[in-house]
Amino acid sequence: MYNKFMDKSFFSIFKVFFKIGALLLGGGYVILPLLTSELAQKKGWLTSDELCEYYAISTSLPGIVAANVAIFTGRKLLGTKGAIAAIVGVTLPAFVAIILLASVLTEIVHFKSVNYIFWGVGIGVITLLFLAVKEMWHSCITDKWTSAIYIVCLLLALSGKFSPAIIVIFSILVGLITQFIKSRRIKND
Amino acid sequence: MINIYLLLFIQFFKIGVFSFGGGYATLPFLYEIAEKFHWYSISQLTDMLAVASLTPGPVGVNMATYAGFTTSGIVGALSATFAVMLPSFIIVSIVFKILHRFKSNLYIQRVVKALKPAGCALLSAVGIKLVFTANLHLIGTLILIVFLISGFIKKRDPIFYLGVSAIIGLIIGNLHWIGV
Repeated sequence: MYNKFMDKSFFSIFKVFFKIGALLLGGGYVILPLLTSELAQKKGWLTSDELCEYYAISTSLPGIVAANVAIFTGRKLLGTKGAIAAIVGVTLPAFVAIILLASVLTEIVHFKSVNYIFWGVGIGVITLLFLAVKEMWHSCITDKWTSAIYIVCLLLALSGKFSPAIIVIFSILVGLITQFIKSRRIKND
Repeated sequence: MINIYLLLFIQFFKIGVFSFGGGYATLPFLYEIAEKFHWYSISQLTDMLAVASLTPGPVGVNMATYAGFTTSGIVGALSATFAVMLPSFIIVSIVFKILHRFKSNLYIQRVVKALKPAGCALLSAVGIKLVFTANLHLIGTLILIVFLISGFIKKRDPIFYLGVSAIIGLIIGNLHWIGV
């Protein structure tokens, strides 16, 4: 009989994440349903609650969300070895696909029609970007405080004088200072 | 002169440390790299973003691999991809050990709450800059507006916008309405 709860070896974890990486089309957003179907439903290695928790934390950590979730789950399954298996697995399909495509791209850009297509696709990409902003907007800008941070950061970014890293550090400081003031106020009351 | 592999490593390591918000969060940093180092042009960046949306894997990984590969071949691709992942590996490993303290810490909650609008603002800024640098012409701007309105009304698959815009580009280009 096929054992659903097969052993969690380095290679079996790698295989699952390689599959997820290959199916991860259109960005990392779809990783949660993929993880749930592969790891919770098919393998039974983790519960979907655990996966949801890892996903939620991953979105609040720096770096690529899909990579963060992969490291979390890999680590939970088989420690550091599992984390390495997961991250290599989820990255490899993307890596190979891009190397192959990049080699082809440099050849085909000499065709006029290819340039026209890329001109058109540029519009599609900018559309997707603004739609992503709209999606983020709903979960990010919830009150006056977050609106103020948004406006200040936008102005800083548009001025062209500050690197994104500086703006990120700025917002971390704003968060820390706000919480510090708040904690002290509560203590004093 | 600093070794190109090392420079790639440093720049993409920085992305791994500072990009918040997933998906396109790496974009503001990739834009900065295009301006500063000219490893790829802004228009190559949007081309690549389209390609990344159609290929497997997270966009951030795709971009790291692509930038590394175009600047210095397969070793560059490995260097940049490894660099963008390394901070995740370190940070997640630490957070994994202190998961419960991490979730309940008020300072962390507040910082995360501040980082989200910052990430959103950075992405908005890139979008605005792209509109002005992408050589859209009048017709392209009009198409963008139509796309945005349609996207705000109804959520569609990213492939829809890329597919339709590719066809539009092909038609308009061949009619010689734009000089690309």
